[in-house]
Amino acid sequence: MTAVLDVVLGPVVRPSTYRRWVFLILGGAVLVPFMLIVGMVLPSLMPAAFQDQTLLVVALSLVLVVGVMVLMSLIPAVRVIEGTAALELLGDGVPEQATRVSLSWTSRARFAGWFVIHLLVGGVLSVLTLTVPPAVVLTFFAPFLGQVDILGLAIGTPRGWAGVWVPLAGLAALLVLVHLVVGAAVLATRAAPFLLGPTAAERLAELEQRTEQLAERNRLARELHDSVGHALSVVTIQASAAGRVLDSDPEFARTALSAIEESARAALADLDHVLGLLREGQSAARPQWTLANLPNLLEQTRIAGVTVESTVEGSLDGVPPAVSREAYRIVQEGLTNVLRHAGKVPVELRLSAADDRLELDLSNPIHEHGTKPRAGGGHGLSGMRDRVRVLRGQMTAGPDQGRWLVQVRIPLRTVRE
Amino acid sequence: MTDGKTTVMLVDDEELIRAGLRAIINAEPDLTVVGEAGDGAEVLPLVVKLRPDVVLMDVRMPAVDGIQASKHILETVTEPPKILVVTTFENDDYVYDALRAGASGFLLKRTRPEDIVRAIRMVVSGESLLFPSAIRALAAAHGGGRAKGLSHTGLTDREAEVLRLMATGLSNVEISERLFVSVQTVKTHVGNVLAKLGARDRTQAVILAYETGFVTPG
Repeated sequence: MTAVLDVVLGPVVRPSTYRRWVFLILGGAVLVPFMLIVGMVLPSLMPAAFQDQTLLVVALSLVLVVGVMVLMSLIPAVRVIEGTAALELLGDGVPEQATRVSLSWTSRARFAGWFVIHLLVGGVLSVLTLTVPPAVVLTFFAPFLGQVDILGLAIGTPRGWAGVWVPLAGLAALLVLVHLVVGAAVLATRAAPFLLGPTAAERLAELEQRTEQLAERNRLARELHDSVGHALSVVTIQASAAGRVLDSDPEFARTALSAIEESARAALADLDHVLGLLREGQSAARPQWTLANLPNLLEQTRIAGVTVESTVEGSLDGVPPAVSREAYRIVQEGLTNVLRHAGKVPVELRLSAADDRLELDLSNPIHEHGTKPRAGGGHGLSGMRDRVRVLRGQMTAGPDQGRWLVQVRIPLRTVRE
Repeated sequence: MTDGKTTVMLVDDEELIRAGLRAIINAEPDLTVVGEAGDGAEVLPLVVKLRPDVVLMDVRMPAVDGIQASKHILETVTEPPKILVVTTFENDDYVYDALRAGASGFLLKRTRPEDIVRAIRMVVSGESLLFPSAIRALAAAHGGGRAKGLSHTGLTDREAEVLRLMATGLSNVEISERLFVSVQTVKTHVGNVLAKLGARDRTQAVILAYETGFVTPG
């Protein structure tokens, strides 16, 4: 019994019902100007047509109105506002994506469908909302007056106790209206993921972006770990040691101090670099460079003091975008590594795009003085390795005839599939 | 041992780290650095030749990392040295791998010098666990999944109790005070526990205790 009551009366007392109602009525409100055009402006503009071929004209104007609605739905701001209203008022089930601008025509078309249906259904429910409750109030007087006026139509009803069913019927009608609203809202919520949510392509793009961000974050973590962590370890241990042997071995203490200074300075430079990457990462609209942007990169590197002698064999245009993007990054990281570990030395870059694979050779002279190549040849390298591995390619790095040579081979066919 | 001193070998690819550790260790009257290696690949012949009591082993090295090197030493050398893994970060995944590979404990590079030398002495004596809380956290993060308990090892109730106290990081002296028995008795119990678990030291026994679900972290 209580279960039945809950089903019948529950929606009446639930706040969500009225939130959803507002959403549907908003659709009706937006519909008003369209209805004014069809109902008033058009007939007064061409009264003759409305007289003679009413059906045809009404059908045509309906098509016209829906067309205008569709056009309106293409305005990005409309999508954002409508999506936000749906998310806030309909609640759970509406995807977050609803408040974001559509990126594809599929998603625009789906939104257009949602928008038109919202306006039409909202229009019908708005009319009902404006008419049913006043009529219900009038039914309360029916047992006394012996009639009800609905939309100017006087309907005779029995007077006195015999007419008690009339107000009850009115209340029942009100209840039906509430359930109609809830039903429409439930249908809207069910349709929302499809009509407002991301399309398969958008979902894929989002996933790709998130993977990219994760990879980027891991790379930064590793970079901090390897550069700053390493340097601070040296600083800590050297300072501890210097403190212990200050009296017994002042010479060691002096060497330690300069090692500390050097390490700290290198750490600051690395920190500068990593923080730069972090700041860069904050702007979401960071452009995705590809091999097509290589000339710019080389020019920047030249400005930084590294001359790059580059040769390109084959056409880079045919390289798939994903590979092209990663290859650009690999070159970028390779050049950064050279600058960090070898300094301002001339670099040779060879890129060769064949049908089945992309070859990338980057080499620089190994300098005699200064630091030895670090673990695995330095740290940008692990980042490069990760990128190459993702593309199912191969990478080798090491000394080769007096030069430090990084060779990358990326298969193209398998990536295209 | 050289002149009764505890002998230490340093393995780290960074010369500056080795130099610092060497100065810290050699400044102690009872400790001395007898050898150094710049990569895990060089460690084994040096260990065989120099027979150090303790090896301080960096985890990440160019050719052979500290985990591989530790495994090699423990598998090939009879009466191998104790291995202390030296790492930059506590939450490094490698730390746990190193402990499972048989390292007796680990040391953060940021550890204070007095604690570094204490850790070396502690690992040689084997009388208490290094960084019990960190090992517990590592076991919590990596262990579990093999909760078969230790009933098959035939620990007596007393030995099981001693293992539980070992896992909390208590030293032999502290355990003896807790159980109202002599330190010598505790040492016997600890020895029996290690033998029954097939563990080479306290750290291994405690890791095993966590991994089998015999003790639970927290």
